[in-house]
Amino acid sequence: MSQVFHDIEKKIITSLRDNPKQSPESLEKSTQLSPDQIRRGIEWLKLKDLAIVFESKSSVISLGKNGIESFEKGLPERRLLNLLKDGSKKLSVLQKELGFVFGPSMGLSRKNNWVDFSSDEISIKNPPSELPGEKTLKLIGNEKLSKDRIDSADLSGLLRRPDFIIEDIIKTKEISLSDAAKSIKISDSVGGIDVEAKVPEVFVARTHPLKDTIDEIREIFVTLGFSEILGNMTQSSFWNFDALFTPQDHPARELQDTFYLDRINAKKIGTPEQIRKVSESHKKNWRYQWDINEARKMVLRTHTTCVTIKHLAENKPNEARIFSLGRVFRNEKVSYKHLVEFNQIEGVVVGKDASLKNLMGIQREFYKRIGITKIKFWPTFFPYTEPSLQTMVYNEKLGKWIELFGMGIFRPEVTKPLGITQPVLAWGGGIERIAMLKYDLADVREFYNNNLGWLRSAKKCQ
Amino acid sequence: MPVIELSYSRLQKLIGKVSKKQISDSLPFLGLDIESEDKDLVRVEYSPNRPDYSTDFGIALGLQGLLGIKTGPIKLNVKKSNKYPISVKSNVSRIRPFVTGIIAKNGKIDDKTIKQLMTMQEDLHFGIGRKRKKSSIGIHDLDKISFPLVYTTTNKNHKFIPLNSEKELDISEILDTTDVGKDYGSLLGQSSQVPIILDEEQNTVSFPPIINAAVTTVTTKTKNLFVEVTGLNKDDAEDMLSVVATVLQSAGFTLESVKITGAKNSAPKLEYRKMTVNPSLINQILGLNLSSTKIISSLKKSRLDASSKGTNIICTIPAYRFDIFGPMDLVEEVALGYGIQNLEPTISPSQTIGKTNPVSLKLKSLDQTMIGLGYLEALNSSLTSKRVLYDMTNRDSTKLLSVLDSKSREHTILRDSILPGLLENLSRNIHESYPQKMFETGTVFATKNPISEKISFSGISAHKDANFTEIKSIIQTTLNIGFGIKVETKTSTDSTFEEGHCASITLDNMPIGIVGKIDSKIIENYKIRVPVVGFEISLSDSILKN
Repeated sequence: MSQVFHDIEKKIITSLRDNPKQSPESLEKSTQLSPDQIRRGIEWLKLKDLAIVFESKSSVISLGKNGIESFEKGLPERRLLNLLKDGSKKLSVLQKELGFVFGPSMGLSRKNNWVDFSSDEISIKNPPSELPGEKTLKLIGNEKLSKDRIDSADLSGLLRRPDFIIEDIIKTKEISLSDAAKSIKISDSVGGIDVEAKVPEVFVARTHPLKDTIDEIREIFVTLGFSEILGNMTQSSFWNFDALFTPQDHPARELQDTFYLDRINAKKIGTPEQIRKVSESHKKNWRYQWDINEARKMVLRTHTTCVTIKHLAENKPNEARIFSLGRVFRNEKVSYKHLVEFNQIEGVVVGKDASLKNLMGIQREFYKRIGITKIKFWPTFFPYTEPSLQTMVYNEKLGKWIELFGMGIFRPEVTKPLGITQPVLAWGGGIERIAMLKYDLADVREFYNNNLGWLRSAKKCQ
Repeated sequence: MPVIELSYSRLQKLIGKVSKKQISDSLPFLGLDIESEDKDLVRVEYSPNRPDYSTDFGIALGLQGLLGIKTGPIKLNVKKSNKYPISVKSNVSRIRPFVTGIIAKNGKIDDKTIKQLMTMQEDLHFGIGRKRKKSSIGIHDLDKISFPLVYTTTNKNHKFIPLNSEKELDISEILDTTDVGKDYGSLLGQSSQVPIILDEEQNTVSFPPIINAAVTTVTTKTKNLFVEVTGLNKDDAEDMLSVVATVLQSAGFTLESVKITGAKNSAPKLEYRKMTVNPSLINQILGLNLSSTKIISSLKKSRLDASSKGTNIICTIPAYRFDIFGPMDLVEEVALGYGIQNLEPTISPSQTIGKTNPVSLKLKSLDQTMIGLGYLEALNSSLTSKRVLYDMTNRDSTKLLSVLDSKSREHTILRDSILPGLLENLSRNIHESYPQKMFETGTVFATKNPISEKISFSGISAHKDANFTEIKSIIQTTLNIGFGIKVETKTSTDSTFEEGHCASITLDNMPIGIVGKIDSKIIENYKIRVPVVGFEISLSDSILKN
């Protein structure tokens, strides 16, 4: 299989196959590409693990101002010796000829015994044919030379002289091919692109993960023969509590558990017959003075049961399967496991054959469809159902039993005053809890944070 | 729901021959949820309708039945006695009219028993006592009291040494300075008189429903007890007494009666009730086909008594089971005695055809359209805050709808618009990559007979090139594809939007929403660094249901 490369990449690979170790500058020459193209090409090949870039530091030597002058005219001491080649000269003559380099050239030549100095006359004595430093000076000339190409002993004398030698530290790059690149086959196809290259991230537009769970649960109940009803989130206490046999002094009705709307009361809460019969049931069974003003207080529904009971009271079906799904409210401190507002599903089965075993069967079927097979039922208590059960489901991830939906059969004290004659099976529970298991969330608040990082990455199918 | 701490070893002693595992396996089937376990200790949550489960004595009785160790009802053996008279003065009738009580003798009281009795008292006060309003209990050392007693009223200068105090306090001081006085003083109303129980020597026994006298404090040295219950209603007071009497008898005490006279008061009955239930109701509701014999044995396991009479079953219910209102409660007792784990779930074929609500279907198709246009769905709480709804967006807050006493400052106001929540969402995502496009459909609220709830639809787009044209195109396409309606835009102004970049959305010349570029000051408030355009449309019934 051959791989598609950009033109730049192709040229660099080809050049490196001929000449395996090159600097970027040498690649520029061999490929006729611009420095920028070379830089990009090397970068691409490096990302694909095809090129190896070896970086090193080295010293580069060139001549300074005085070094260049000496390269052109000879070292000061050489110039002195040259003047003495044809015979000895007077000090004053030499001073005049050599100017300010006379002093240093004289000092060095006398120290090395190259000249004799008697009275006013200076004469050549015994100089070597090549003076120290001359070889190096000639070698460098007008170039820049790597320090390791120069005889360091010969260089050291020059380094001590002012403005003779400039030493630069430079970084050099050496490019070579990786083993993979040496054998890779370069495609000849024209206009092909690198299909293996990394691409920019795009983000999906999607329904909210919690909404997906809600829709899934809705669909399961519809396929089980249930019809969906809608109802208001704001309800009179009458339908949220009184109609459900929750006495007016029950702790659940206190401000600290239920949201009451500030100074808002319902004018019409039910038919006169409904109100009379509900109040009688309370008076008889709970022994207290039922107060209609308490029933008028508007609350944010604490469950969707108020929607179903109102529907049953208005329609009195002999046979029905209905459910209601939506937001419910609890006055709680918000935490990783509690929200003030969450979604609940609540369903009922009405019919003369409705039984507790049927209710358990519907639950088992529902859980099976959301992928939960290990379930059990425990007795529990709700003010408006008798008998009452709760489902416990086993969560494999957490390794423990978790409480999910509650269920029961509406008490006669609930159904009779509202004229409902058939047994009513009811169940309900929070949806966020199921969604948390599904999306593996430890903090329920995440559902309402609308954090794009999470929404854009949460998996659709879990 | 109340929680109680139990000790397995103590329960084993109370129940009889039973293993720790049998107990922990059975607790949930008695309706007791295990909260946590630590070696010998287990914390369980019990239902407020079963106050007898507020002590391990009561739970032991229930487990004996469920495990078949001892079945049938708990019979209260109350020895008739004339030694303990209480007379009631008519002046209590306007404040706390009823008192009842019982004597419990020759019991052994250790620290653990005292702890159990204290939790029971607290739970009874909170639950069926409705925070001591309906009824409240005092448990006293009988040997520190000289009968006869009188239940009467006194004024606020009356002095005695209350429980947990070293010095005498008068009633006013108790009400003003002690915790219980501050918590429950309001139950006594504005009257200058308060209820009091005094003994023969005029010593204070109790100041109901606030506090007992220190002198009658129950300790591990106490042998004999006097229990009094006061309340607003004779039946409520006797209900509470029946729980305490049952628990004390189970704890090994011998019960003796008190004699109560005066002002419509009389000695407590603590008697059985009889209730008839038809086996066919039981079998229909449970979906079983149990014989009368099986039903009777199940009821006995639930610590009730039962016998056949013709086709019916007559059930005998002890006084402390006042949670049983009617035959349906007996159905549950049969189910518990039979064992919930023995009920096999069945699925009966449905005779109905399920249907999604048309409004849900419409909203779902709207979701799909918005996703097709590249918008991500957001979900925000409908109970939100003034800051999000009004302050940050310069909206008019005069008609705000607030709830009372919210425990969370972020959740105090019902939303009348969705758009502010989406702006808040953008502000929390400024570090995420752009473009950011979001939408939400949900309920918005307004004051109207008494409250109207409407479905609203809002969307928002934030990126460096966001502009009015873009968002107007989105609205027109969505509403046309989603609902088959064609809307127009008319120049408008709104505090949330920038002037000259704001329009009302109209359908047949009626305004149904607003669209535009969000005002730069709001964008600044939220520290968003790109332009933002958005819209909100009210989806009336005529749009959703056409």
